[in-house]
Amino acid sequence: MKYALFLGCTVPVRTMAYEISTRNVMKKLGISLADLEDFGCCGFPLESIDHTTYLSVAARNLAVAEAANLPVMTMCSACNGSLLKANLAMQDKNTRDEINANLKPINRQYKGTTVVKHAARVLYETMDTIKEMAHPLNLKVAAHYGCHYTKPSEIYADFEDPEVPYSLEELISAVGATPIPYENKKQCCGGSVMGIDESVSLEMVREKLSHIKKAGADAMVLVCPFCDVMYDINQKRIENQAGEQFGIPVLFLPQLIGLALGLTPDELGLKMNRVSVRNLLKTLGDGNEQK
Amino acid sequence: MSKSEPRIGVYVCHCGLNIGAVVDVAAVAQYAQTLPGVVVSRESTYTCSDNGQRSIQEDIENHNLSRVVVASCSPRMHGDTFMKTCETAGLNPYLFEMVNIREQCSWVHTDKEQATEKAKDLVRMAVAKVRLLEPLEKQKSAVNKAALVIGGGVAGIFSALYLANAGIKTYVVEKKPSIGGHMAQLDKTFPTLDCSLCILSPRMADIGKHENIELITYADIENISGYAGNFQVTVKSNPRYVIKENCRLCGVCAEKCPISLPDEFNMGLKKRKAVYIPFPQAVPNYYLIDAGHCLHITKGGCMLCQKNCPNDAIDFEETEAVRELNVGAIIVATGFELYDATQKKEYGYGRYPNVITNMDFERWVSADGPTHGKVVRPSDGAPPQRIGFIQCVGSRDEKEGAVYCSRICCMATVKQATMLREKYPSAEIYVYYTDMRTPGKGFEEFYQRGREHGIVFIRGKPGEIEEDDNHNLLIVSEDTDSGLILRNTLDLVVLACGLRPPEALEELAQKLHLSRSPDGFIMEAHPKLRPAETSISGVFLTGCVQFPKDIPDTVAQSGGAAAMAAALLTKDEIELEPVRAAVDEELCIGCGLCEENCDYGAIEVKKTEEGMKAQVIEVACQGCGVCAASCPQKAVTVRHFTDGQLLAQVTAALEPEVIV
Amino acid sequence: MKKKEIINMDELDPQFKYEIASQPGGEHILKCVQCATCSSGCPVASVSDRFNPRKIIRMAVLGLKDTVLREDFVWYCAACYTCSERCPQDVRIPDLMAAVRNIAVKEGCIHPAYKEQGRLIGELGRLYEVTEFENEKREKLGLPKVREKNEEIAEIYSCTGVGKVVL
Repeated sequence: MKYALFLGCTVPVRTMAYEISTRNVMKKLGISLADLEDFGCCGFPLESIDHTTYLSVAARNLAVAEAANLPVMTMCSACNGSLLKANLAMQDKNTRDEINANLKPINRQYKGTTVVKHAARVLYETMDTIKEMAHPLNLKVAAHYGCHYTKPSEIYADFEDPEVPYSLEELISAVGATPIPYENKKQCCGGSVMGIDESVSLEMVREKLSHIKKAGADAMVLVCPFCDVMYDINQKRIENQAGEQFGIPVLFLPQLIGLALGLTPDELGLKMNRVSVRNLLKTLGDGNEQK
Repeated sequence: MSKSEPRIGVYVCHCGLNIGAVVDVAAVAQYAQTLPGVVVSRESTYTCSDNGQRSIQEDIENHNLSRVVVASCSPRMHGDTFMKTCETAGLNPYLFEMVNIREQCSWVHTDKEQATEKAKDLVRMAVAKVRLLEPLEKQKSAVNKAALVIGGGVAGIFSALYLANAGIKTYVVEKKPSIGGHMAQLDKTFPTLDCSLCILSPRMADIGKHENIELITYADIENISGYAGNFQVTVKSNPRYVIKENCRLCGVCAEKCPISLPDEFNMGLKKRKAVYIPFPQAVPNYYLIDAGHCLHITKGGCMLCQKNCPNDAIDFEETEAVRELNVGAIIVATGFELYDATQKKEYGYGRYPNVITNMDFERWVSADGPTHGKVVRPSDGAPPQRIGFIQCVGSRDEKEGAVYCSRICCMATVKQATMLREKYPSAEIYVYYTDMRTPGKGFEEFYQRGREHGIVFIRGKPGEIEEDDNHNLLIVSEDTDSGLILRNTLDLVVLACGLRPPEALEELAQKLHLSRSPDGFIMEAHPKLRPAETSISGVFLTGCVQFPKDIPDTVAQSGGAAAMAAALLTKDEIELEPVRAAVDEELCIGCGLCEENCDYGAIEVKKTEEGMKAQVIEVACQGCGVCAASCPQKAVTVRHFTDGQLLAQVTAALEPEVIV
Repeated sequence: MKKKEIINMDELDPQFKYEIASQPGGEHILKCVQCATCSSGCPVASVSDRFNPRKIIRMAVLGLKDTVLREDFVWYCAACYTCSERCPQDVRIPDLMAAVRNIAVKEGCIHPAYKEQGRLIGELGRLYEVTEFENEKREKLGLPKVREKNEEIAEIYSCTGVGKVVL
């Protein structure tokens, strides 16, 4: 299987660990990735500014993939939601004609055939292989789904349940780790409020981290660079502000799976994680030695 | 009277946990065993179940029981059940006594020990009474196979048609000159926006021409006597002074009539003459003269109508007609009255021209209304552009004497607002509500459509309406959804007036001996399971006289009432309860107190060979016991509740040791 | 004591609700029954008084256009879609908030944070600037270079007119 890897804006600049781990895990699983350099912003922030501009910018990416005849794999949940939403809207002929008129000056047209999948969904669909290849990880992991990975459900009709999501927990189990429940699991990371009112976003993050800490997780796992910025990059800052210590390592899903598939910490970019994963790796190492 | 010692069986019921959780049923059963005459005493989980009943029947056979006592729920629930149980086993059903240890004991007490003692007391009393019971036989009475429907609104119309279509001769008595009721005044119905008269008038016409229906309009019920299967009703119809067969509806009479009056059908928004037809589709469809206002009748000498009528249809000689109707069943369908909005002074109805009621609105919006269907500001005839509706006017308002929700006003307002939206697409329409209540088929969808049409629903009941110099209406209210205080200037305000029991219901209820619930509407026989029956056998009810309801609910209830009346009327004879008064002529001194006190005309003092003596009209007697209680000679007794039986019960209550 | 403000309804804009309803995403605004399912589950409302989706819808329906557009509360919606999934009337609140934001933009009330994002996307084709520094770092990690600029989005901006607002 081959996908066009849609990097979006945040991943290639702020969460390279996500990108490295995704690329290496996909490679390990025999899934090939193409880089289309014409891909640009998914359009997500523009939805709040001008609906038509948003659809046009999103559809432009869909058109790029359509021309390359490749399905799209996103890493960022906001990109995923943005592209899928636009894709749904572009199934309507009138909308398609209107938007294609905006794409004409840049010599692009979208017919409406591109398939978009989140990297985590691709991993979920490869779960049988992962199970076979995995060395079980003796970890308690809190799954953070974020929002756009499961919602709005109309764009995920054949995948996931917005109220009782399951794919991340199943994948955590697939690599021998234990998914642990915690309060308000579906809570949003608050990333998109960051530019409006930081204190609100950071309070949302603090709540989540304290719920996860209370549940006794060794790590949390997530599938979106926005969420990662909030929980990993901002964790220290929130600890300082709130006077509360969390120390919760934040793993991208491919990092967790990569560990089980025997990839090295470097192959998974683990050194780039802000909250140190040293103890986590040590725990894993000890566990493996015991076996 | 030589009698062998009675052999009594006592059955104490757990009723699941209803009784069993509070009363020590086993202890009560054990105690009953010690009472004199008790041959067997048992407890059971559900005495009313087949098993429970079978056990009683087996005991009657095997232990040769001559009396049965069941201690369980109210006799209203299962009295009949156990009487039939006894009868099937060959025991006269009147040798059975029921003790209520549920409603009157376990449900109202929490102290288990005391409740158990009370249950024992109650059982002991019943055992004392049951020893003295006499077997009674039911009497039969022939059924008069005709029905009377009181009220000619949609409720009455449909119950009459159901009965008549089932082949039953039906009289419909209507107070007003035409049938149709409030429904005839409505322009459209919710939530389908059907034209109200378009769907009602064909059925009105059916009433007018049905071979099994006799319609008596412009008439009052004078008197009602009798009982299920055999009522006598006196009906007085007012003279219309117009000969139906001659009236060709040309309207010349009205044209010539010099007297102009507010038109009731149009809520006084239009004028009519003293000779008039209530509305074009009226049934019966001919003119009448309003005797109270006719110049000729009140002062004499006018007769312009008679002089000008081309068909000699005016007959000033007509007099009121009194008729006796003999019917087996009565359906009460007298409907409602609209709350009088002038009572709610803070809203200014009657003082501010641009404050109207929901019924006024129906006439404004009707093609036959004062403006041929154009809704305008009454003050200046201008089309309103900012309209407000206020909900719960005279409903859910203890101060106005109605705690209840009138059920139809929310939907009526959504309907009216929707109609306004169609007529004035750019008008601003606001509905001030307490709670929007839309529980009915298609109702919530209709409400949703209203919102989507831009009708703004504001949760918050205005305290008052003020008026400015231009008769604009000023409403300050809270919008509880936003917490904001809003000041709104409106062109027109519609008050959603609630429904009230009609004032005349008091008199009718007395004539029929019907109970009324605290809200003033007629009390049904059972709030859940007998909603179309009254406490009086043979008298049924339907429509808003029972409680405010919409048209489909009314029609459904009319079907129920008609079916139950038909079930009675298709019998040749009915059984009468033998629990009735009896007179000991030797003791009677013919004083007549009993006759005076009897509500049912069931006891009369007549001349006999032995002098004046009271005599019970068995079929009319309801067994209430007023006669027995009022007799100074103790000459009257009520069977099954004789002084001896009751005294034994009381003695057992006060002096347990006497028996034990 | 702060004087309580009474809202004069004839100074409000009764057309505002229709304006929102005609905007993509705002179509279902009039179905709202104020049940508060949205605000009950809203992660932002649970930590901040600034945002209450139910009240914003209410104010919009009443016609408080100025307040809704000029205050910054509509920009607080995290677009998490929690409410959208649960709304019994299918109001699609995050899309509705986007619709209101679109109107605010047209009325010159764009939030500076969004204006900045719009500018970056228009100028660079992406939200974060990629310089030689980033690309060198990527190269060291074995990641392919990414294009520093994508001019196509600016072209789209000029088609839709957004350029005038954010650039």
